[in-house]
Amino acid sequence: MKIVACVAFILALSLLPVGSFIALAAAWLVLVALSGVARVGPVRMVRSSFVALPFAAAAMPLLFTKDGDAIGTVDFGLFALTATWPGLYAVLTIVIKSWVSVQAATMLVFTTRFHDLMHGFERLRLPRLMVAIISLMYRYLAVLTGEASRMMRARAARSAMLPGAKRPSVRWQAGVVGNMVGALFLRSYERSERVYVAMQARGYDGTMVRHEAPPLGFAGMTAIGAVAGALAAFELVAFLWLPRP
Amino acid sequence: MFAPLFLLHAPDGFFSTPVALFMWAATIAALAISLRKAGQDLDERAVPLMGVMAAFIFAAQMFNFQIPGGTSGHLLGGVLAGVLLGPWAGTIVMACVIGVQGLVFQDGGLVAMGANIFNMGIVGTLGGYALYRTLAAALGGELKARLPAAAIAAWVSVEAAAILAAVQLSVSGTTALGAALVAMAGWHALIGIGESVITVAALSFIAASRADLLELRNLRPGRPGATLSGELP
Repeated sequence: MKIVACVAFILALSLLPVGSFIALAAAWLVLVALSGVARVGPVRMVRSSFVALPFAAAAMPLLFTKDGDAIGTVDFGLFALTATWPGLYAVLTIVIKSWVSVQAATMLVFTTRFHDLMHGFERLRLPRLMVAIISLMYRYLAVLTGEASRMMRARAARSAMLPGAKRPSVRWQAGVVGNMVGALFLRSYERSERVYVAMQARGYDGTMVRHEAPPLGFAGMTAIGAVAGALAAFELVAFLWLPRP
Repeated sequence: MFAPLFLLHAPDGFFSTPVALFMWAATIAALAISLRKAGQDLDERAVPLMGVMAAFIFAAQMFNFQIPGGTSGHLLGGVLAGVLLGPWAGTIVMACVIGVQGLVFQDGGLVAMGANIFNMGIVGTLGGYALYRTLAAALGGELKARLPAAAIAAWVSVEAAAILAAVQLSVSGTTALGAALVAMAGWHALIGIGESVITVAALSFIAASRADLLELRNLRPGRPGATLSGELP
C-alpha cells in the first residue's frame, strides 16, 4: 500500500510542468507533515536526501542551452555561455523534484520494516525468485559488507606510504582491488554453500516457506483510491491554476 | 565514487515520465526472460547462491581506488557477475543489487529505477556477457582468451551504460545530448579502465585459486561435476 502510494507520489511529481515551484513546495510540506506523524526526525530526512545532489551537475548544461531571456553571460574567451531564465527554471525544477522524490522514498524506507516491504513487493507480483533473492541478500548484506570493510582495513594497515612518496599507479591499485574482489567472491561462494547446507538441514527443498501476507482489505483499497484521487486533483491544480513563472 | 558513478544511479526527477516508464517496461520484459531462462538452468541451490552473490556484488562495490583528480572509482560488476554466474542469473542478481540500492540506500530513484537497472544491470550483464562470449570465441576459445575478452567486455559495458544514460537524459530534456555524451562517455572511459582491470584481476585470482568456480554458470541439476564441494556425500 505504502509502496504504491510512494511511487504514485513520485510519479505525480515527475509529471509536474516546468516551473511549478508552488506545487513542489506543497508536496514537500505534505511530506514534512507525514514525517512528523511518523516521528521520523526532519534532520534525518534532510540529511539522507542530499545523496541526490551531486547528480544535479548533470542538469547544469540546460542552464545554457535553453533559448530565452538572458540572465547573464559567462565569457570563457573561446566561447561564451549565456544563462537563460527558462534554463534556470528547468534546472531548478529538476533538482527540487529529485530532492523531494528522494525524501518520499526515504520516508517509505524509514517507516516500513524490510520484511513488510518484501510482502508488499510480493503482492505487487514481483516474481518469487526475486523476492527470495532480495530477502536473502538483505540478510547477508551486513555480513559481507563487514567482511569487505575488514579487508579494506587490512589493506589500509599494510599500505603505509612514506611522505612524499609517489602514489602507486591506478593500474596497480585496481589490480589490488581485483584480488580483493576475487578473495571476497571465494569467501561469499563458500558462505553460500554453507547457507545452502544449513537450509537443507532445516528442510529446504527448493521452495521458500511463505508467510502469507494478510490480504489487502477494503480499507487498504479505499486508502489507495484516496491517495490516487488526491494526487490527480493535485496534478490538475498544479497544471491549471497555480502560477508559474 | 561520488560524481561519476552517481550519474549511473540516476535519482527520480531526472528522467521524464515517458522515458522512465518506457525503461521500466523494457526492464520488466528483459527480467521476465532472464527469470525464465535462469529457472531452466538452475536448481534449488540457486536461491542461496544468488542471494549471497547479490550481497557479494554489493560488498565488492565498496572497494574503491583513487583516480587522479580527487575522485575514486569502484567496480560495477556486471561483466563479472555475467562471467561467474551466467548471463541470466547474473542479470537477476544485478537487478536485485540495484533495486536494493535504490530502495534502501536512496542510491537511485524508484521511478527512475527501470532505467538504472536497464543501463547497469541488463546492458552491462547481458550485453557484456554476449560481447565476452563473442570475443572469447573470436580470440581462440574461452580457456585461452578469458582475460582479454573480459577486459574489453568490462570496459564496453561501462561505456555503453554511460552512453545510454546520456541518451535517456537528453531524450528527457534534462541535458543537451552533446554535453551529456562528452561528460558521461569521457568520465566513464576512465572508470571503464578501472572496471576492466578489476574484473581481470578478480578473474585471474579466482582462476589461480578455485578454477572450478569459473564453470559455476554451467551448473545444472544432474550434471556430472555439479555437486558443491561443501555438500556431504
